[in-house]
Amino acid sequence: MANDAIVVEGLTYLYGELVAVDHINFNVAKGEILGFLGPNGAGKTTTIKMLTGQLKPKGGKATLLGMDVATNVEKVQAEIGVCFEDTNLYEQMSAVENLKLFASLFGVSAFDAYALLKRVGLAGREKDRVEKYSKGMKQRLMVARSLVSRPQILFLDEPTVGLDPASAEAIRNIILEERERGATIFLTTHDMLEADKLSHRVAFMNQGKIVALDTPHNLKQQYGKRALKAKVTTRSGKLEDREVILDAPETPKAIHELFDKEKVVTIHSEEASLEDIFIKLTGRRLVE
Amino acid sequence: MNPGIIKTLVAKDASLYLRNRLFAFLTALGIVSFIVIYFVLPSSVDEELEIGLYAPVLPPVFELIQEEAGLKFQIFESEEALIEAVTEGDYAAGVALPADIMEKFASGQKPQITLYFPSDALEEVKDAVEVMIRELAYLQTGQPLAVELSTEILGPDMLGEQLPPRDRMVPLFAVLILMMETMGLASLISNEVEKGTGQALLVTPMSVTDLFAAKGVIGVSLALGQVVFFMVIVGGLNSQPLIILTTLLLGSVLVTGIAFLVASMAKDIMSVMAWSIPVFITLSIPAFGVMFPGAVTGWAKAIPSYYLADTVHQAANFGAGWGDIWPNLVILLGFNLVIVWGGIMALRRKFR
Repeated sequence: MANDAIVVEGLTYLYGELVAVDHINFNVAKGEILGFLGPNGAGKTTTIKMLTGQLKPKGGKATLLGMDVATNVEKVQAEIGVCFEDTNLYEQMSAVENLKLFASLFGVSAFDAYALLKRVGLAGREKDRVEKYSKGMKQRLMVARSLVSRPQILFLDEPTVGLDPASAEAIRNIILEERERGATIFLTTHDMLEADKLSHRVAFMNQGKIVALDTPHNLKQQYGKRALKAKVTTRSGKLEDREVILDAPETPKAIHELFDKEKVVTIHSEEASLEDIFIKLTGRRLVE
Repeated sequence: MNPGIIKTLVAKDASLYLRNRLFAFLTALGIVSFIVIYFVLPSSVDEELEIGLYAPVLPPVFELIQEEAGLKFQIFESEEALIEAVTEGDYAAGVALPADIMEKFASGQKPQITLYFPSDALEEVKDAVEVMIRELAYLQTGQPLAVELSTEILGPDMLGEQLPPRDRMVPLFAVLILMMETMGLASLISNEVEKGTGQALLVTPMSVTDLFAAKGVIGVSLALGQVVFFMVIVGGLNSQPLIILTTLLLGSVLVTGIAFLVASMAKDIMSVMAWSIPVFITLSIPAFGVMFPGAVTGWAKAIPSYYLADTVHQAANFGAGWGDIWPNLVILLGFNLVIVWGGIMALRRKFR
């Protein structure tokens, strides 16, 4: 479809006998953030490798911006930015040199490395060798490198994993800024809260297959359990927990009884988390 | 291929190469050492001929000749001892006189004199010894052609000409300098795979062909630059410079292909070293054969560097022309095609 940045049809990859990606189908609209979630070994990285032209699919097809990745690798790669899970910077070079190298490879002539480094919070350390950077600084530089060509599609593979809260938040802000710019973002993460907060839609991947794909809200509606959680004081003065399941036929009656018959101290609503839904769908945790 | 991308990658690799302190140090140390060794070695050959002599009866003229400048005779008690000493390379030649030499001179017959030469004796030495013996016989008898000479070569006969040791070492040094580059380039490539930077490059608009072209250009440039620098300093390009430069260019391509192979097998700097050392030793063998004629037998021709070392030796030291060395260059080119192709195929797997 014309409005889709990424269209995946029956995409498959095998490592020998092992099916890493098993006939997956999805699309990502232009300007959308798709959270791609799954435990280690689910096939997320292999999917990214096929979408970015690093691996040739064993079956199916991936189309980015209307171009078949398998037959237009270089044209596709000119329009994308990739931030890898593992740090792979030239550590003997400075941050500026790293960015200028990649800007040159993308043929970007008017490029302000200092402005980009300032944007990711590395101002003042631009000329330091990367080997002197902390993990968080390196990860920020990785994100900056993926942005040098102002890509139309951004692939971010676990961009905040293992980072301190400040660095992780800085990277999340950059992701939101890129969304504002109009970039399409393909985000893999283990962090369900991050996916929930940033993504328009999330896809759950398990054992090479996509087991669910929808907005976080719809997934929660469809698979989750909404409830009211209350703390009440009993006649003997003890604090006890009460739970009222929402969206059930008996919910109104249960709520009335709670307030009529109990002394409610605190009350709040509770939504299912994406983690709960993932466990419900796959029987596995995201981080095992 | 995209020339702009290749230029960017070459500049990046050159910068990283120079920032690798270990290889920059080893490279500089190697070149300086080879230049120093070259100039420390004798620049001329020893002109005094040491000749072994077995003479059951010593004609009077041989006693006189022992006083000649540039000649030094050593008398041996037996012909076997003489042969052994010449075979060991202790003497430039050995002369065995027959026991009846004086009787034959007296009766007008030609006595049979045997000349022994080591396998790597130069033709000019052989000629000089033969002329000297005929001269002595003439002085003794007053007759020309007064003796019959028979020549025996001890060990395999090695054609050659007398060269100063340092000139003989030039091909060895050239091969060693080129080989040092194998380790540097292999380390650069292996590091690219190990650190994942190659993966980052391959999701930009550059192609795998651009990547290999850039690695090839940087490998050949570094190797050729260093070896040509060495050759210029030691005067190795004074004779047949075009042939030598062509040969060194082919040698640089050869070591670049070998670096690709080493990098495809290595995982880190230590395994680059581990793979490089046996390759280094193997490729040096033919060059040692040029230094020490007879030390290496025909199997060395199965090693590609033979055609590199031999061509440099022939062109730099004997002024060999295109007509003499073209078969070497064709064989070296053939080895290059196979090794570079094999290296690219092996490395391509590694970058996936």
